[in-house]
Amino acid sequence: MKKLILLSIAVLSIGAAAHAQTDITSTMTAGQAAQIVRIAVPFPELKPPAAPAPALVDTGKVREGFFGPLTRDIAYSGIFALAALPPSVPVTPELMKRVEAQFYLQLNVWTEGAEYVVEARLVDQTGAAQLKKRYRGPEAALARTAHTLANELMRTFNNRPGVFLSQIAFASNRSGNWEVWLMDWDGANQRQITRHGALSILPSWSPDNERMVYTSFARGTSDMYIINRRGGGRMRINSGLALNTSATFSPVSNDIAFVGSVRGNPDIYLIKDDGSNLRRLTTTNSIESTPEWSPNGRQIAFTSGRTGTPQIYVMDAEGTNERRISFEGNWNDDAVFSPDGEKVAYTSRVNGRFQIRIANLITNESSIIAGEGSNEQPTWSPDGQWIAFQSDRKGRKWQVFRMRADGSDLLQLTFDGENKEPDWSKKPE
Amino acid sequence: MKKITQLTLTSLALVLLILTPACRTKKTPVKPEVIPTATMDVPRVPDPPMPVETTVPDEPDFVEQSPTEDVIPSDIEALNRWVRDKGYVRDAFYNYDEATLDDAAQAALSASATWLKGKDGAGYSLLVEGHCDERGTEQYNLALGDKRANSAKDYLVTLGIDAGRIRTVSYGEERPFEEGHDDSSWSQNRRAHLVLVR
Repeated sequence: MKKLILLSIAVLSIGAAAHAQTDITSTMTAGQAAQIVRIAVPFPELKPPAAPAPALVDTGKVREGFFGPLTRDIAYSGIFALAALPPSVPVTPELMKRVEAQFYLQLNVWTEGAEYVVEARLVDQTGAAQLKKRYRGPEAALARTAHTLANELMRTFNNRPGVFLSQIAFASNRSGNWEVWLMDWDGANQRQITRHGALSILPSWSPDNERMVYTSFARGTSDMYIINRRGGGRMRINSGLALNTSATFSPVSNDIAFVGSVRGNPDIYLIKDDGSNLRRLTTTNSIESTPEWSPNGRQIAFTSGRTGTPQIYVMDAEGTNERRISFEGNWNDDAVFSPDGEKVAYTSRVNGRFQIRIANLITNESSIIAGEGSNEQPTWSPDGQWIAFQSDRKGRKWQVFRMRADGSDLLQLTFDGENKEPDWSKKPE
Repeated sequence: MKKITQLTLTSLALVLLILTPACRTKKTPVKPEVIPTATMDVPRVPDPPMPVETTVPDEPDFVEQSPTEDVIPSDIEALNRWVRDKGYVRDAFYNYDEATLDDAAQAALSASATWLKGKDGAGYSLLVEGHCDERGTEQYNLALGDKRANSAKDYLVTLGIDAGRIRTVSYGEERPFEEGHDDSSWSQNRRAHLVLVR
């Protein structure tokens, strides 16, 4: 075990000054502040820790590709606060005390051939290293390196990883047709997954984060398809029914819940992911749509027009024990269970506009997360801290946004073309 | 190409010839009598009606090819435009969040059924697309569009169209006909859209 010599650390790079370091604890109450860990994260030294002279490393690439995503992850972690560091000053134990930093994340980034090497040491106020990690990869892997390291920091203090490596599937029309796309949790790495050249919408993740099920009109009618996260292994699931929309994987089995229709009567059905064992769950003559599993796979939320307006219901996974859970507004849809199963977020019309409503299934209370424009199709992050949704608040074009479940820290994630129907991957990693 | 130019010139000359006398009569207008209007409460005899000037219609003799009224386009897209323009095949429109057919929707479908059963339409199948306006939510509207398309299909079947000739698809609010965000656009977007297919 090599002891760290804090004094040997070189002056901070100019790059550090370019990054606003968010002081989260200032808005916390005393009780909350006790759980917040303040951490000093200066810009990386662009050389190996013991090397005498810095190698030639592109400061901009390290800043945009690695340091930016890392500090944003830490700032949005909910358990860390970034200490406000003066620029270009070495982080010493004295400085850590002065800026009230309990920990210091020493970062070294250098290149070996075409590869970037990232070394991270999390040091406490006594100089002891709590975490030591080294990553290696091409330039394109820098962002994932940052997210992996941020997850390690979360695991160190929280005993579970953050959501920094989670992915958000969505539909985008930027290629000229609506197709299924993927992006990182912070909106980076947006990439096209399906290439039907036809209306392809409503992606939904499998519980293992490996596959998505969605609806495409590639054959002139709406069909269910499964595709893996890298765009391969595409297969069509032939239900023999019309519609085949709102498909969603069971979290505990190989069942898919979806909306099927026979002679204009849309109902909730189950089918296995190989297209076998079709089962009908709802049997009314009204419209039933938009099924969504509870996290334990025991219940299914859905929308029904049986009372004359679309309202949210919950039933057991066998189609029994139906009960209505939305009572306000004359149009409710898109129900999604929180990962702990205690809450349901859904789209609810309030004064002529759609808003995200969160209903607590234990207390039966609900509240609106008010926003401009129409706000629809919420999806929870795997840790239940965040909700992504679509909003037309920017010029009546759909874009995907992310916010905390209390509505704070709003961030627009998409900008190119129109983008909608976000579905957050189910596992944190 | 040359032929077309010649043709155009010929028809232009013809049109000019026809229009010339009309123009002449226009150039010698009858000066209207000036009537004093100082006393508004005095009842006046209205002016005698003036003729409305219209262009002289092309006579069939002037046209090189004399198209009969009902040459049916062979291209399927042109055919769909044509039956729509002629009113032979008409879409059914719906009220907000409704999939039931009102009188106007039934009349539109009846007209369509008549053509589909006639000698010109009997050879075609039909795709009925269900569409919704943007005011609902996307997932529920896909289901609502399915109900609309099927209500139109069911009605056509009661009018004697073989169910095997009719396929349905729901586009929900994904493919609006009008992009506006007002009542007139919304009412245009709530429809069962009838498309002839081979």
